[in-house]
Amino acid sequence: MKSIKRCQRIITLFLVMFIVGMTVLVLKINREAPFYMMNSDNHQLGMVYDRNGDVIFDGTGKGEYEENYFIDLGNLIGDDKGIMENTLIAQNIDKLNNYSFSEGIIREGGQASIYTTLDHYANRAVYNAYAGAEGCTVAYNYKTGEILVCTSLPSIDVTNGYANMAEMESGTLISKAMYGTVPGSTQKISTVISALEIIGSERLFAKTYTCEGKYLNKSGDYIDCHDPAGHGTLNIQQAVEKSCNPFFAQLIESEDLPLEQIIKKYRKLGYAVNDDKPEYIDIDGIQCAKASTTLTDSDDFNTQWGCIGQGSTLVSPVQLMMWQSAIANGTGKMTMPHLIDRVFNVYGDVTEIAKTSFSEKLFSEQTASTTKQIMLTNGQNNYSVSIGGYKVGVKSGTAQVKEGAEENSLLVGFLDDERHPIAFCILIENKNAVSVTTENIANVLLNALCN
Amino acid sequence: MTENPFAYFFSCVFVLFSHAAMLVNIFYNGNYDSIKDVIILAVAIAGTDIIYFVAMLFFKQHNFTADFMLLLILNMGVIFQSCFGGVHLSVKHLITCIACLVSCRIGYILTRNHKWIQQQKKYIWLGIGILAVVILTLTGSRSMWIDLGFISIQPSEFMKPLFVLACATSVSEQQNKHKIWKFDIVWENIILFGITAGICLLQWWCRDLGSIPTFAAIYAVGFLMRICYPKAKFSNKTLLIAGGVVLLVMIVGIKFAPQYVRDRLFVDIWSDKSGNGYQQSQALIAIAEGGWFGKGPGKGFLYTVAAHESDIVFASISEEWGLLYAIMTTLVLLAINTIPLINPPRSYYHATMCTGVCAALTVQMALNIFGSCNMIPFTGVTIPFIATGGSSMVASGLMVGMIVASQSPDFQKPKSKNSKKSKKKTNSPKRKKPSGTSDRRRSA
Repeated sequence: MKSIKRCQRIITLFLVMFIVGMTVLVLKINREAPFYMMNSDNHQLGMVYDRNGDVIFDGTGKGEYEENYFIDLGNLIGDDKGIMENTLIAQNIDKLNNYSFSEGIIREGGQASIYTTLDHYANRAVYNAYAGAEGCTVAYNYKTGEILVCTSLPSIDVTNGYANMAEMESGTLISKAMYGTVPGSTQKISTVISALEIIGSERLFAKTYTCEGKYLNKSGDYIDCHDPAGHGTLNIQQAVEKSCNPFFAQLIESEDLPLEQIIKKYRKLGYAVNDDKPEYIDIDGIQCAKASTTLTDSDDFNTQWGCIGQGSTLVSPVQLMMWQSAIANGTGKMTMPHLIDRVFNVYGDVTEIAKTSFSEKLFSEQTASTTKQIMLTNGQNNYSVSIGGYKVGVKSGTAQVKEGAEENSLLVGFLDDERHPIAFCILIENKNAVSVTTENIANVLLNALCN
Repeated sequence: MTENPFAYFFSCVFVLFSHAAMLVNIFYNGNYDSIKDVIILAVAIAGTDIIYFVAMLFFKQHNFTADFMLLLILNMGVIFQSCFGGVHLSVKHLITCIACLVSCRIGYILTRNHKWIQQQKKYIWLGIGILAVVILTLTGSRSMWIDLGFISIQPSEFMKPLFVLACATSVSEQQNKHKIWKFDIVWENIILFGITAGICLLQWWCRDLGSIPTFAAIYAVGFLMRICYPKAKFSNKTLLIAGGVVLLVMIVGIKFAPQYVRDRLFVDIWSDKSGNGYQQSQALIAIAEGGWFGKGPGKGFLYTVAAHESDIVFASISEEWGLLYAIMTTLVLLAINTIPLINPPRSYYHATMCTGVCAALTVQMALNIFGSCNMIPFTGVTIPFIATGGSSMVASGLMVGMIVASQSPDFQKPKSKNSKKSKKKTNSPKRKKPSGTSDRRRSA
């Protein structure tokens, strides 16, 4: 009998192994079925809505919309065709999958959807305000992190397909707000923050430098100012308002600001300095490039030029905007941006609700407060007419690109309004070729969001 | 005739009811052009069921569990196969199922007397040799099929039941040892090892790599039963060494496998959806589309994919009938393998035979299901009784016949010697004291 039992044990072992295998298989299928379904020709996606319930992507393909209805957000929202990868849908396609393994394929009636934080109306207004110019605008609520506007031009209406892809202009299929660009003088805000952190507000405001239109630095290179006549003697507030390059070159050379300290503060802000590994900010799966720069020697032209916002410095408009939140909030902590507000599954149940989160502290409350005041003063003194009716703290920038052949115009800032806590970054490419200005866009943006 | 007519009757009702439930599902949810197709299918299924119920009565068995299970699963297979791509009776599959039922009877008749079948071992070896020669000479260059025009035969499938019988052993065989140098050697074990190696090389040559794990599993359990026979010490050291050798062989096999094998072994099916990963990716998509409860009989898309009725049949069933139903079908198959656990084999020879059969059937199921679902390399082995393939069906039927043959008889209370009926029964082979009982006493 013992021998027969051995036979039974071996059979039992085989059966148990098989049953364990089947259990693993069932669990695997149950978990991975939505992925398998995404590879099916019969899969159906749900809808993506803006914050007011307006459709900004129709996964069913059955709705009827005006021509170019989705163009203002086309390269941010994307689609499921696999052409654009760094988009909301490409990165969250599983959440839109109108599929449930318990029911199998659902041809009608699935309620999977994503409600975004975006304002379609405001995006469209901003898109139209560019009037043929190219660039991007991103704005968010710096209290909650809700991205309200993120339009990038040129763009695509995904319902038109990709038949004319060869004729598309460069940058059509990406949201430029997520990629590094030369920040121009908006970079000076980072330098101001670093200086405030290193030597404090009192000593920084006590410093004055003279601008004579250009400055011969210690290594024998000239740092040109945009005003050849020069700005005369300036303090930090005036230097920010005038965006004076020689002032900042001399500030970087100052012995009070050792380069190691500046590098440390830049890294704290999120820059990849010199050979640091490039990193990304994750916005609901969308990868947003982090800032990078090269700082080698305080007296070196490229280092000074980098701190002024030219040379090898690259910052994404989203990150420029995020720094504004740390200033506007007065905490030194960035409000982390998000695009997805709520996610509904195939049965219409909420499966995900956004929560506001903050970065670690980048700089002190004192630095935030001082920088905020510098920017607000700049806004009041220089932009009260062009951005009328709003109490804004801003810093403009002009970035030389394509080896100086073109200039981009930037404007970063925030609205100091408890009811509309909006931080923004506006970029217009090749500004000399178009009539629209960053102030025009800012006006349209704030009007659309605040009224 | 059966001695428990009530159990027999209710088993018949159970099988009929199960098939009827499937047919009702087809009627309401199936994809058919005309109701006539469903009626033809229903008549074929019910007809086969009833004819087999009657035919089984002519066999003097005490237990028909395996037979009912076999009939249940075979006609489930006919229903599945008749629904792929639309409801039409799959006459070819029905014929192979009938061949399977017949081969089951043949397997039972040939192996019920373990002493007789043991004496035929040389003929079994000879049979394996003949099949090997047939494969080498008639299947064509590196192929596994003999194409007769109207039918294709896969000789390696017939090797499986013969190999199970070759691996089966009795205690007395294992005690017949010869001292060679420092080792006590059973010549039969050496011969069996040689046969196994030969079969594996042959399978490698004809590119039927999927069958190698099945033969290896049969040999492994045969080997275990041989080294762990009642009077042998159960040596963990021996088992560990054996396990290590198996692992080493597998590693070496994979390392030196031809490129086309490694392509199949390590394919990322989702990045090669139109190439080596086509069948598996389509199978998984079909399972996903079917969900737990399926799209409905005949409403799947997988019938457009090659080997939907054989290599990826589990996915085809899942798509149309649902994963739940596919799992239940697997459980019925599994239940056939559990029969030796419920009704212990009546001799050590039958025990080793049953173990080999269970190993073969379970490994084939695992290779098919897990392979098609991308859990293990996809080998193209069929699921017994469900997938198409006459050779596989006949061979699997023979193996189930072996399980039937190995079941213990029910011991009845002795009846009055004066009773005519009792006398008749006493004279019948079934009333004789089963030879296996003596084995059992020895081993107890």
